[in-house]
Amino acid sequence: MSQVIAKSKKPAKGSVNKKKTLALLSMVAPGAIWLILLRYIPMFGITIAFKDYKIYTKAPSLVNNIIHSKWVGLKNFKFIFATTDSWQMIRNTIGYNALWIVLGLVISVVFAIMLNEINNKFVAKSYQTLMFFPYFLSWVVASYFLLAFLDPTRGLLTHIQQNLGMTPTNWYNNPKPWPVILTIANLWKGIGYSTILYLAAITGIDSSQYEAASIDGANKWQQIRYVTLPHLKTIIIILFIMNVGKIFNADFGLFYSVPMNSGPLYPATQVIDTYVYNALIATNNVGMSSAAGLLQNVVGFICIMFANTIVKKVDPDSSLF
Amino acid sequence: MKKNKVLPLILSVAMLSTLLTGCGSKASTDAAATDSASTEATTETTTEAGADASVDASSLEPVTLKWYLHGSNVTDDAAVLEAANAYLTEKLNVTLEPIWGTWGDFDQNSVLAINGGDDVDIYFTCSWSADEYNAFAKKGAFVRLDNPDNNLVAEYASDLWSTLPEVLTNGAMIEGSDGYGVYAVPGYKDIATQNCWDINVPLLEKYGYTIDDIKNADYYSFGDILKTVKEGEGSDFYPLLVEGMVLERMVTNSVIVTGDSGTNNLLSYYIDPVDVSKEGPYGNKMLSKFETPEYKKFVEQTRQYFLDGYIDPAMGNKNQANDVRVAKQLTGEYLIGTQSYALGYETQASKERKFEVAMVPATPPYVDTTSSQGAMMAISTSSKNPERAMMFLNLLNTDPYLMTLLNYGVEGTHYDIVDGEAVFTAKRDDYMPWTNGMGNVTLLPPQEGQGKDFYDKFKEYYGAAKEVPNLGWAFDPTNVETEMGALSNVAEEYALALDTGTVDPAEKLPEFIQKLKDNGIDKVVEEANLQLDAFMSAKQQ
Amino acid sequence: MSHTNNSVVSPRRTKKRRLNSVSIPTEIVIYIVLGLFCLACVLPFLFVIIISFTSEDSIRQIGFSFIPAEWSLEAYKYVIDLGDQLWRSYFNSFFVTLLGTFLSVLICILYSYALFRPDFKYRKFFTFFCFFTMMFGGGLAPTYMVCKNMLHLSDNYAAMIVPMLLNPFNIIIMRTFFQSSVPESLIEAAAIDGSGEYNTLFKIIIPIAKPGIATIALLNALAYWNEWFIPMLYVRDANHIPLQYLLMKMQNQVDFLVKNSSMIGAEAANIMSDLPKDSLRMALVVLIVVPIACAYPFFQRFIISGLTVGSVKG
Repeated sequence: MSQVIAKSKKPAKGSVNKKKTLALLSMVAPGAIWLILLRYIPMFGITIAFKDYKIYTKAPSLVNNIIHSKWVGLKNFKFIFATTDSWQMIRNTIGYNALWIVLGLVISVVFAIMLNEINNKFVAKSYQTLMFFPYFLSWVVASYFLLAFLDPTRGLLTHIQQNLGMTPTNWYNNPKPWPVILTIANLWKGIGYSTILYLAAITGIDSSQYEAASIDGANKWQQIRYVTLPHLKTIIIILFIMNVGKIFNADFGLFYSVPMNSGPLYPATQVIDTYVYNALIATNNVGMSSAAGLLQNVVGFICIMFANTIVKKVDPDSSLF
Repeated sequence: MKKNKVLPLILSVAMLSTLLTGCGSKASTDAAATDSASTEATTETTTEAGADASVDASSLEPVTLKWYLHGSNVTDDAAVLEAANAYLTEKLNVTLEPIWGTWGDFDQNSVLAINGGDDVDIYFTCSWSADEYNAFAKKGAFVRLDNPDNNLVAEYASDLWSTLPEVLTNGAMIEGSDGYGVYAVPGYKDIATQNCWDINVPLLEKYGYTIDDIKNADYYSFGDILKTVKEGEGSDFYPLLVEGMVLERMVTNSVIVTGDSGTNNLLSYYIDPVDVSKEGPYGNKMLSKFETPEYKKFVEQTRQYFLDGYIDPAMGNKNQANDVRVAKQLTGEYLIGTQSYALGYETQASKERKFEVAMVPATPPYVDTTSSQGAMMAISTSSKNPERAMMFLNLLNTDPYLMTLLNYGVEGTHYDIVDGEAVFTAKRDDYMPWTNGMGNVTLLPPQEGQGKDFYDKFKEYYGAAKEVPNLGWAFDPTNVETEMGALSNVAEEYALALDTGTVDPAEKLPEFIQKLKDNGIDKVVEEANLQLDAFMSAKQQ
Repeated sequence: MSHTNNSVVSPRRTKKRRLNSVSIPTEIVIYIVLGLFCLACVLPFLFVIIISFTSEDSIRQIGFSFIPAEWSLEAYKYVIDLGDQLWRSYFNSFFVTLLGTFLSVLICILYSYALFRPDFKYRKFFTFFCFFTMMFGGGLAPTYMVCKNMLHLSDNYAAMIVPMLLNPFNIIIMRTFFQSSVPESLIEAAAIDGSGEYNTLFKIIIPIAKPGIATIALLNALAYWNEWFIPMLYVRDANHIPLQYLLMKMQNQVDFLVKNSSMIGAEAANIMSDLPKDSLRMALVVLIVVPIACAYPFFQRFIISGLTVGSVKG
């Protein structure tokens, strides 16, 4: 019987479905076309990573150059691993990233919840605006700000140390404090950005849920625990997964500008991106630069797929796809 | 008309033979010397030769040349282009479409354009820009100009070639994608290197010294002077204002090795500080820069000066060093600095800094590969009209009217000639290409304040500069790229700190050398010497 | 619907929020913690403003300092001297930012809304299609070639707008915002009412998702406003140059000259000694940041107001 009903309904439902799918496809279309043109077509360039890129002198064009360049296998990747610094830079890159993903997540969620609890709208708005300011400043400018404190001869901290009769620290020569300095710098710059994402997610929560919770006698902490956090869960997980995808990439500006590219600090500040930058200035090889980028992306991709699979098992709704 | 065609022909045959034989012999040096001496004569005849070309122009197809320049500050080129295109259409049936690359964006954009095969005819290239001459000639970006099958130089640019000093044409001969030859037209500008001690004269004299005390001393015996001045000026004053890498080269008498790493050289080539054209203490050999006894002696002395408080700690801090150095030069907060010199620099510096500056040379001026390739114009392999591009470059570098028009702007609008010197008007602010980056600057009228005879002095000074024995040689890192990548990072970590004394060489130098060895410096040095030997034997033939 | 609801609900809600707020000591702690962080955020900007008004001599003598030895307007004068070009570039920046933000937000909403719909047949495919480009790209040279030679994005406004129209990261975020703020039952209800897909999206969903959309709009606007690299690649015509690139060009020029002075020769020294180098760098930051900072409250209104406006209840 039910089969019969289902059958008789099918054509109508099918055409509705078709219409819906078409409507949704038309929504995706502009974005998809853009992605094909500006992202997928240029992907032929990935092959440069496996080539000894030369210009095809008879008819130079990017496509011709790539086609006529010799395949060299994985040779372009070698420079990342064939160095005594490999371990150091990979450790630094992954280590800082892991620490900052966790710290950044916790602090910005806490800040977003705190902002949400401020009753005075003016204060809440001002705080939120001010938090966003570091986002406007480039790392170069930030590095000058830091220099005003740490300058070996004219810095503020240097003067304070001198006045207290201490020997001034030569900050740009001593790698020890730099993990802390870099961490502070990174959080300072990034917190405002992610806080605003979490805040937007919180403000999107249907307020009747809080009303219901408070009628049930839930106090503030319980409301946060049982209403806010579960709602934030999806975006937390999504942002987390996407950050994991960048675990092999480092913020070049931060690691290059903030420590003023000072050599003696390298044990604490050298990351894959700065290493590649220095190596490419020396060799000027397009193949090597795309190899480095590709490697970072592949590692990131694997990490994301891995993280996503785990999330999918635990909580299918929050997974990326 | 016949006469006009014979002279270039003879010259081109002469040039061709010198090019093919590698220009090593004494005889050809003399020949080229007479050529460059007769520059003015040649330039005068070009107007005539140009008129001759104009007859041909009508038979030539009209062509637009895209020309990519560096370091320009041009916001309004309409007037200049109108005049230039009128002139060029008549002469060569060519119109110009310059792309005014600025100091900031040239590196990124030109490399993208070259790699992507953009439709550009002529690129600026040199030994220090991102589209580095040797590397991109090797990659196939530039047309070989003296290709035996299609010798553009002999056919269209013999005038130009005969006006260039031999050190320049020699320096342009490299191993490129199409064999050993010329891949760009070298610009005649400040082509020699001379590292000098930059002396703050009033301060020196304040403590009872004279410039002769500096001249008679060397780096290792500056101690007493530095001590006196430091004591007199107080603890915040750092008398020795150094640029780490320049200082190292000055003290150890090594030259920049072209093609060797971007920011830090790993290789040293020592020259004879008295007669730069002779081989240095190690002969024609590349050395691992940081392993020589000379380098050790230098960093130990520098460390001592640093500990004595003569060197500002900021000098060892890469991103800060240049800013602080420039600032201290301008305020005169130094006694002895380092400067890579260009003719007339002391006059200009004195004017800018508002105190008397003297330059005490550490070596005679010399021409090495890097300085001889300081500014060049290459024809792109993507150019559809390489012949016409060559004709244009020939005219540009031999015709004072065209060079002055494109470089200074329109007379009466952008500049006026007063007393034999060019005096710029306010309009010049809208049209300011990089003077040295276009071509033969000796065709230009001197600028205000340079003096009427500036270019005579210029030719005298740079004409006297001798070439170092390995002129023209550039290191090709292709076979050791992996090692170069790793090593450049190692050098970045240690070199500047050691060169400025901010770290202790007793501890760091052995650590540094060990790390270089672990990352394959020996292989790089061996490769460099193989290449150098091959080059030298080719050059001697 | 939501508007009528609001006017009735809001007085009650204000009262309720007070009842429902954290204790006074907790709130004080919040004020202090966030206040200190905000101070750390705003201090560097004050520093930037101070340096931009500091004379170059003062910087040379005492370095970067909160209390300069001498004040100066030199840096701003230098920029104002650009004259018409400056205003032209301001206009270009505003134009590109407005149009670019509008279009990119529209595309982002459309794409991510479809991805959000659990009943979209090709949902998985298009999610991955978008996500994949976040991880892999062809690199600069191929993208440049496609934009310039295939799409002719050169010396026009499109060259500055098109390359940044879509950001996969924003699409994923927007999809997540939809997930956490739009109840699926709402869409079903709308479908039963006979509302077309576009109608549902624009009339029902978008008003609910306002905080999320405002956030994405803010991020896009900032991206457009701050962008200088893309104009550097594709725009040479002075009439089209946006502010950020105009100023960045000055900045890059100074940096380049300082770095390569020994190779360029006397001319470099000549140009450099005339420039108010460090104060200029800071003045440029001020000129860039102030207009966009002024636009910030506009977006913020939607983000914060979400706190009380609430959403349509089913």
